[in-house]
Amino acid sequence: MSTQHSPESDKELWQSFASAPAVVPAAISDMDFAAWLEGGLTEQEAARIDAAVAASPQLRLAAIELADILGKPLPQPSPRIAVRAQALVGFPAEKPASGLSRLLGMLLPSFEGGFGLQRGVMAAAAVMVAAVGFMMGGGLGESYAQEKYASVQSKTTVSNPLGSDTSDQLNDLFTDTL
Amino acid sequence: MERNAGVTELNQIDLRSLAAGHKRTWDAFVTAASPLINAVVRRSLNSFRLSEDDVLDAAQDVFVRLCANDFRLLKTYDPARAGLPTWLAVVSRSAAVDFARRRRQATSPIDDVPESALAVEDVHVEKLKIPEGLLTERQTLILKFLYDEERDVAEIAQILKIDAQTVRSTHHKALLRLREHFREEVP
Repeated sequence: MSTQHSPESDKELWQSFASAPAVVPAAISDMDFAAWLEGGLTEQEAARIDAAVAASPQLRLAAIELADILGKPLPQPSPRIAVRAQALVGFPAEKPASGLSRLLGMLLPSFEGGFGLQRGVMAAAAVMVAAVGFMMGGGLGESYAQEKYASVQSKTTVSNPLGSDTSDQLNDLFTDTL
Repeated sequence: MERNAGVTELNQIDLRSLAAGHKRTWDAFVTAASPLINAVVRRSLNSFRLSEDDVLDAAQDVFVRLCANDFRLLKTYDPARAGLPTWLAVVSRSAAVDFARRRRQATSPIDDVPESALAVEDVHVEKLKIPEGLLTERQTLILKFLYDEERDVAEIAQILKIDAQTVRSTHHKALLRLREHFREEVP
């Protein structure tokens, strides 16, 4: 085994070579890089990633940093991270609606707010229907006017339906005889 | 150990339920993944001197990517190829670097950009080219880690998940090949 050269001369030797590869390796996916970091690839698969990492200072830095992070205890993060991230999932997403359902959606109330809201909306709709019906029927003022008109008519036109009133004449007869 | 607890929880996540968008599974995933994503994002943005709010936004960006378009990115994860924590760390780093680039393009003057990001190799220096096939990819990579990145043997062994002795022997064989090939060119 040759041990005549020092580590410094090894470094100088390496630095005397061009570092740029003749052919730029193809980009690697996050999944490939993760598999490579875990050392679970075959020699042939790993060689492709080795070439890409050797050619890219950014990938070498990524490998150094990620190996360091994955080998150490992790500090607790700010609770805001989890709170904000948890809010990303679980709320109904807005979906593109068809023409008819979009029209119905505009005209009809949405009941996604719960049963209480549903009951409130139904009650309000019932009150509105009743009010409109009452208004169309004329309301209180018109029905009262009709009733009053009818009673006046009965006094004027149907005052003596059996001919002349004889009650006063009968009274006079009885009082004269007494 | 906080990390072991977090990793255990991550490995217990029901991925099918997660990709289906079930709220309870997502919440459990977020709780388990937050320490790792926070650590990776913080480390990746370290040289960009961004604010604490930027770090939180970058972490949020990772979660947004994971669940966007009906969890499309999350569905690309293959448990047969790598553990979820490792894949998540790689995805988080990619997202954080993208975030920093966008933020730098939008706001930073050139004086604020780290020198390492602007460094360009001096192309005027004549250097010898290593013939293709003289070194294996693994030998080249180990020499790069040792001399370009100035990492020690133990660190390289940890990164590549191999023995320190394997790193030493690969390094030695690579230099022997180089010296043999360039015996006459290199003084």
